[in-house]
Amino acid sequence: MWARILSAAAGIWVMAAPAVLNSSASAATNDRIIGPVVASFSIIAMWQVTRSLRWLNLPLGVWLVMAPFALGYISTAAGWNSVGIGIVVAVLSFVPGSSKHRLGGGWPSLWRRQSTR
Amino acid sequence: MADRKEYIPPGWDYNPASWSERLPIIVLAMAGFFIAGYLALYQWRIIPSIWDPFFPQGSIRILNSSISHLLPIPDAALGALGYLADAVTGAIGGRERWRTMPWIVIVFGIAVGPLGAVSVMLVVFQPVLFHAWCTLCLASALVSLIMIGPAMDEFLASLQHLRRVKDNGGSFWRTFWGMQSTAR
Repeated sequence: MWARILSAAAGIWVMAAPAVLNSSASAATNDRIIGPVVASFSIIAMWQVTRSLRWLNLPLGVWLVMAPFALGYISTAAGWNSVGIGIVVAVLSFVPGSSKHRLGGGWPSLWRRQSTR
Repeated sequence: MADRKEYIPPGWDYNPASWSERLPIIVLAMAGFFIAGYLALYQWRIIPSIWDPFFPQGSIRILNSSISHLLPIPDAALGALGYLADAVTGAIGGRERWRTMPWIVIVFGIAVGPLGAVSVMLVVFQPVLFHAWCTLCLASALVSLIMIGPAMDEFLASLQHLRRVKDNGGSFWRTFWGMQSTAR
């Protein structure tokens, strides 16, 4: 749970960062697209049944690290912010969180035959 | 979560269709309905101004934007209808509905998912296209996201039930419509 809360907070911070860090246009656009999406996946993944959505934040975190290089704003505050937060988001996506419930085999059970005998 | 044992799906340790699981979603959907309904009333100019403690100019800009009026009815009105559909499909059926009426559980799951996706899309559009935020629009998006997780467990239980019935020689469609509700 804490990993999802941190990750959601990171997404919301990325959303707000352009207003705080005086970002360039390309940095602002990138942050304002990626931030809400990271926050959304994190919020949905707070529940055990939709926990796997945390993995979608891995490529988004990696992209936050790469974006300042790809879009040419690595030497700005927005650039360093993006790299730092990207690493945090990517690492947090690996934290599984607690799974205290049994969900009848989860989603993979839908792809397996369920004959009882 | 305390529920009669026979209501709990096989392999589960709780019943995702119990009222204690569903009531919070219905309450959230109604909250979303009132927020979106309020925004729609402004978009129709039935009320003259909009409340926004943080971005008063932003709300005016967003709610009168071209995107919000792309369709014949304003986007918040469409959102309100979506929340209403979530509340209604969340409320229909008893504590065993994952098994006795899979169709409503699946309609419910499908209603909750896209509403969340559209909300996130609109959150991205706000600053990227209009350089503005709208507090109640963000609140509405948050409500629609919080509903997805709790709705999906019941959705999963119904899909597992359909799979189980079909693999044991039962009829998928009869089970889907709730005309046959036991595996085997």
